[in-house]
Amino acid sequence: MKTWKMILAICTLPALSALSAQAAVSNKELKIGISQEFENLNPLIMTMSATSYMYSMVGRTLVTLSPEGKWVPQLAKSIPSLENGQAKLSPDKKKIVATWEILDKAKWSDGQPVTCADFDFARTVASSPNVSIGEKETYTQIEKIDIDKTNPKKCVFTYEKARWDFYQLARFFPLPKHLEEPVFAKYGKQKEGYEKNSNYTKNPTMKGLYNGPYQISEVRLGSHVTFVPNPEFYGPAPKIQKIIVRLIPNTGTLEANLRTGEIDTIGTLGMAFDQAVAFDKKVKSENLPFEVQFKPSITYEHIDLNLDNPILKDLKVRKALVYAINRDELVKALFDDRQTAAVHNMAPIDPWFTADPKKVTLYPYSRREAGRLLDEAGWKLNTSDGFRYKDGKKLSFVFMTTAGNKTRETVQTFLQQQWKDAGIEVVIKNEPAKVYFGETTKKRKFPALAMYAWVSSPESTPRSTLHSASIPSEKNGWSGQNTPGWVNKDVDAAIDALDTEFDGKKRVELAHRIVKAYTEEVPVIPLYYRSDVAVTPKGLLNFRLAGHQFSETNEVENWQIK
Amino acid sequence: MTNYILRRLAQTFIVIVLLSYFCFYLMTLMPGDPVELMIQSNPKITSADVARLRDMYGLDKPAYERYWNWVTTIASGDLGYSRTYRVPVSEIMGPRLWNTFILSAAALAVALIVAVPLGVLCALRPNSKFDYIANLFAFTGVSAPSFWLGMMLILVFAVNLRWLPAGQTYTIGQDFGFWGTIADRAYYLVLPVMTLAYLQIGVFLRFTRSSMLESLRNDYVRTARAKGLSRDRVVWGHAFRNALLPLITILALSISSVFSGATITETVFSYQGVGRLVYESILGNDFNVAMVSFMISVSMVLIFNLVADILYGFADPRISFR
Repeated sequence: MKTWKMILAICTLPALSALSAQAAVSNKELKIGISQEFENLNPLIMTMSATSYMYSMVGRTLVTLSPEGKWVPQLAKSIPSLENGQAKLSPDKKKIVATWEILDKAKWSDGQPVTCADFDFARTVASSPNVSIGEKETYTQIEKIDIDKTNPKKCVFTYEKARWDFYQLARFFPLPKHLEEPVFAKYGKQKEGYEKNSNYTKNPTMKGLYNGPYQISEVRLGSHVTFVPNPEFYGPAPKIQKIIVRLIPNTGTLEANLRTGEIDTIGTLGMAFDQAVAFDKKVKSENLPFEVQFKPSITYEHIDLNLDNPILKDLKVRKALVYAINRDELVKALFDDRQTAAVHNMAPIDPWFTADPKKVTLYPYSRREAGRLLDEAGWKLNTSDGFRYKDGKKLSFVFMTTAGNKTRETVQTFLQQQWKDAGIEVVIKNEPAKVYFGETTKKRKFPALAMYAWVSSPESTPRSTLHSASIPSEKNGWSGQNTPGWVNKDVDAAIDALDTEFDGKKRVELAHRIVKAYTEEVPVIPLYYRSDVAVTPKGLLNFRLAGHQFSETNEVENWQIK
Repeated sequence: MTNYILRRLAQTFIVIVLLSYFCFYLMTLMPGDPVELMIQSNPKITSADVARLRDMYGLDKPAYERYWNWVTTIASGDLGYSRTYRVPVSEIMGPRLWNTFILSAAALAVALIVAVPLGVLCALRPNSKFDYIANLFAFTGVSAPSFWLGMMLILVFAVNLRWLPAGQTYTIGQDFGFWGTIADRAYYLVLPVMTLAYLQIGVFLRFTRSSMLESLRNDYVRTARAKGLSRDRVVWGHAFRNALLPLITILALSISSVFSGATITETVFSYQGVGRLVYESILGNDFNVAMVSFMISVSMVLIFNLVADILYGFADPRISFR
């Protein structure tokens, strides 16, 4: 009898546990699970996605990108532009000056006002040769900041170059000068002295370090961060009284933690896409009190073609490779149509996106067209083994990606079969991510095909991925992500012009010129645009996935549990 | 004996220095460095940024020079700075080492408490039903992968029965007082300790059993029995003492790993131990964290091997030190 009771309990408890987990969710506390590591929350030196995810809860800057993909003010009263007269080009048109004004109510969590001096101080720290900031240009693009003598919240930024996207300062974070200046004065001359001794490192729960809707009450690196409302926040008071972000590095146990109520939500940095699809089915079949949310993002999964490969130098071969794969079928078969087939590097949520056949070259699936192109290129089909040959050499490519990434490995197998049907042999050779990204793709050591993803933001100049100066080489310290090694002078010129084009319509024309060349010359095979995924408890209101690199936590103050 | 210990300590020091350089050099050969990881996460990083950061981190210097810089920093009492977590190594390493010690020591203690008596009983009743069942238990423990075992325990005890938590190190944001905190930590330790202990029980049980079986066959055991000594005295005073030598060896190796961490178990249970920290630091080319951990692991292995050698002398008076 006891045994039967035990079996019954084991069978029924999963459902009960999920229900009780849901019952516990309230505005008192929300526990978010993520699977990626995070670091010290100093906004100047943070580099990890999980840190940015959490920093958005405690720190705000002048502007950000909304889930609709539009730039909106945060700490700024409005966004300067040439049209509203708050920005002006210098007489020689080489520089731009913009007037920024910070919200009157914007304060640090100790009640001190956020002023232009905090932005100027951040720029000073970032410019120091002793501070190991990653992307320095974010701060150094501003040559000087002139603070209004009568209003410390109003200032004029003089930019080093006149770029149209001068207002996109979502990574230009202010530092609380009243707290951090003494540290910088004492340790700023030592190499990495500031970051080692900053209050963000030594005392991350100190009042006054944050200006967002929440402040930090506990940090345990490698485990969790606890957030409580910041009473000095300029915006609406957060509804949820405590948020705990927990690191659960094993994605396999994320679901178990969700079911037991040890976490209530899985953020975008949690589940893998295939796990989310599987969990969504369980939510529906078991009637679990969760919602699995999907949102198309700008993350672009693609295959780089090494243009130094003698076979891939032939445009006909490159085009045949694209014609031979059915990307619509791929996203349907493998992703339940929850991710979108890609036509080029710009995602549909990007205002510059176009799929107009007059503006881009499209490659609908056509094995016949692939065969025709390969025949023209001299690769003839050998009916005995089904592969194509030229001068006795088989048409064969090495196809690489990150070993152990289940989704990518499944895509590889799918594509391998389709290329085989077109007479192209593909040999899969995968490597651990560390070797693959640390050596193979970075130094362009992949023999033919390399699959991975690019992350960018809408209306982003593709300088790092498509400009010929961004081809990684020893000379440039292997920086840049033009891994195929694509050189197109017209594209280089369009990218250079794009940075300084202030006319929106002309910018779109330039972007389309780039994308036309990109789709015509096929340095890369577009595969699909990834979707962001998150699991939320039913009843969590105002939770909107961003679909770009600025996460959903930018709106954390609006979250509410019904 | 003092001379022996001093000589072994000197040897240990030399081995640590040689191995540390070897390990440091191997890490420099690994693809990727902290700057490259930054480039991957931020394509806007320019070649000027790359050159500046490489110079700042000293990544453009030869391995021996970087090793010397690291040694001199360590010698000054500074464990260095973690480039992954952006905090001093001591701040992140200290609490994690303690957590790992608690987890590994508890698992080792449980494993010994269960395995040694079971192993002795198996040896006293070889080929009995009890022996077969205990051996089956031992073999499943040895062969079960820790990630699988951990997941199964989570499914049964956390998801289905809801008796125990699915992971974590302690209850976040609660102050339970001194004894309450100990109870809370113990509550979260049950499943990871069960996982680790089960894996070790098999090893200890098999060693104890075979060692005891051999010991029980010896003439001195027969003589002890013939003298009319009690069963307990024969088993524990004569046979078990002589069966201890191989057990001491395996125990010394196990103790030496209590600070090394159990990466898989810690990851499955989201336990804040040093194993996962080291794994992440190696992946991120975080030299300072990885090297400090390596030094601790090597030192522990060498020191506990020395302790084992000394203990042999106490277990078996025939062994002398020269």
